[in-house]
Amino acid sequence: MTFVFRNNTIERFFSDGEYAFSGYDDYGAVPEAERYIWWYQVPVKYNQEQLITEVESYLRRLQWAVSQVGQAPFLILSLELLYDAGVVRGDRRLVNAIDAFNQGAWQLAAEHTNVSVVDFGAFLKQYPAAEWVDWKFYFLSQMIVSPRLAGAFGQWLQTQERALAFRRKKCLVLDLDNTLWGGVLGEDGIAGIRIDGDYPGKAFRYWQEAIRELAHAGVILALCSKNNEADVKELFAAREMPLKWEDFACMRINWSDKAANIRSIAEDLNIGLDSMVFVDDNPAERELIRQQLPMVAVPEWPAMPYLLPAFYDRLVKDYFAVYALTDEDLKKTEQYRQNAGRAQAQAAFTDMDDFLRSLEMELTISPATEVTLPRIAQMTQKTNQFNLTTHRYTVDDIQRMLDHGARIWTLAVKDRFGDNGITGLIIVTDCGAVDTMLLSCRVLGKGIEHEFLKYVLGQLKASGLEEVHALYIPTEKNRQVQDFYDKNGFLCTREEQGRKAYRLSLADWDEKRNTIYKIV
Amino acid sequence: MEQKVLMVLRRVFKDATIDETCSQSNCKAWDSMNHLNLVVELEMEFGISLEPEEIARMVDYAAVVEIVKTKI
Repeated sequence: MTFVFRNNTIERFFSDGEYAFSGYDDYGAVPEAERYIWWYQVPVKYNQEQLITEVESYLRRLQWAVSQVGQAPFLILSLELLYDAGVVRGDRRLVNAIDAFNQGAWQLAAEHTNVSVVDFGAFLKQYPAAEWVDWKFYFLSQMIVSPRLAGAFGQWLQTQERALAFRRKKCLVLDLDNTLWGGVLGEDGIAGIRIDGDYPGKAFRYWQEAIRELAHAGVILALCSKNNEADVKELFAAREMPLKWEDFACMRINWSDKAANIRSIAEDLNIGLDSMVFVDDNPAERELIRQQLPMVAVPEWPAMPYLLPAFYDRLVKDYFAVYALTDEDLKKTEQYRQNAGRAQAQAAFTDMDDFLRSLEMELTISPATEVTLPRIAQMTQKTNQFNLTTHRYTVDDIQRMLDHGARIWTLAVKDRFGDNGITGLIIVTDCGAVDTMLLSCRVLGKGIEHEFLKYVLGQLKASGLEEVHALYIPTEKNRQVQDFYDKNGFLCTREEQGRKAYRLSLADWDEKRNTIYKIV
Repeated sequence: MEQKVLMVLRRVFKDATIDETCSQSNCKAWDSMNHLNLVVELEMEFGISLEPEEIARMVDYAAVVEIVKTKI
């Protein structure tokens, strides 16, 4: 059942499915529902003072309603002025009150993952204002929005919800010639490329500026082009363009087929193909990707460069729209670029140890401090794959464990490509049981996990502990670590429904540390 | 015209068995909300506009047919 908060008659607008409606303006107890919709409409009132006061009270009600529904999906329709009866032109107070409500709604959506907003104004704008309200029905049943719009409204709302359910894509893979600039580098040469001055150069310049904003909003950029890499590099150096060579986290500039290239970009960046969007002006390339990699989104390319602004608008709305940016979004390109750099370096080495040595890794293992407590709690909340027990803790929980004599170590990893910050955690209780062992997937695949564990075991042994206990608790996502303790010399003492208990005698344990890693 | 009215009644009240005897008293689905839905559907179907007095008089199939007849 969907519960709809409303202050007017709107039943007619929700015909398919099961709905229940609040009283008009009522906000008593909120019934349990699978999802919630908030659709308040600016009431018809001639006294502007009263009307403004009323509208100003809506946001508090909305905030209260959101606080009552837990994690259930909550969809807010923006508040729109359907009938403007103000006499004084230039009196912006009502409009400002409506804007303030809508701002507040977007703010809620940014703060709560279950809350989203749809722009009801965008629906109304498809019709002349004279058709929004049918006064006869208003007086017969207090229905402000004309019932004639109900059918179209239902379809529109469905489309909006489908768009909201759509997962944001992570990576935009771009072709170069006639996609990022006008002209073909191999034929027209560096000077012949159109990226400034008159049309079409100007259109491509705007397009590049737009893409640069996407990158700032956390979208990872990649290049996939049939060209000579050296020529492209030269062009980026020689011509002033909004996008720089460094803006791209990953490049495949070669003559092999684009499906293979995109697959290897996904591997380098360690992201799924279903989180990629491929933009290419060449219909044959688009068709190839659609056939070979159906999970990659491939939008149609606009027929003319002057249509690029509209194309960009759709691109954002369809794939990259987001409510609010987190710091993590902002740092993402940089981190993925570093990781891609590491992966490319790996390809150049045949011997894994040589590769690891070349990374000049530095592991900083330190006991928990007040400063790192929030990060420690956050890691227990967020880490799914490399997490042996998946215990979730708050900062208070962690503090309590420390008070009870638990020992906690964090791991920070740095290499010549960059600093990943704190990405690993081990918690050992006062009786020598490993309560938590986890590592962010950003730093996996380099044997760091073994080094981290060895270091901690060494510390425990030095402190006089004779035996360590550990546990593996299976989840949907942590299968990759089911043998982790076996690989590290622990003895499995009990196994029940995938859950494994381990023991390690520290007296006999003397593992040599790997000298590839510098431990600070 | 009568057939079209019946069709609209059946569509709005989601009941294919509705016939000429249908009225507000014997049809459960004919509540105040569906009454308005009926009005909107009739207006769109016949391209007419019904007045509030007429809407109030539309209590059964016969009344609906009689009123719609005067409008088209």
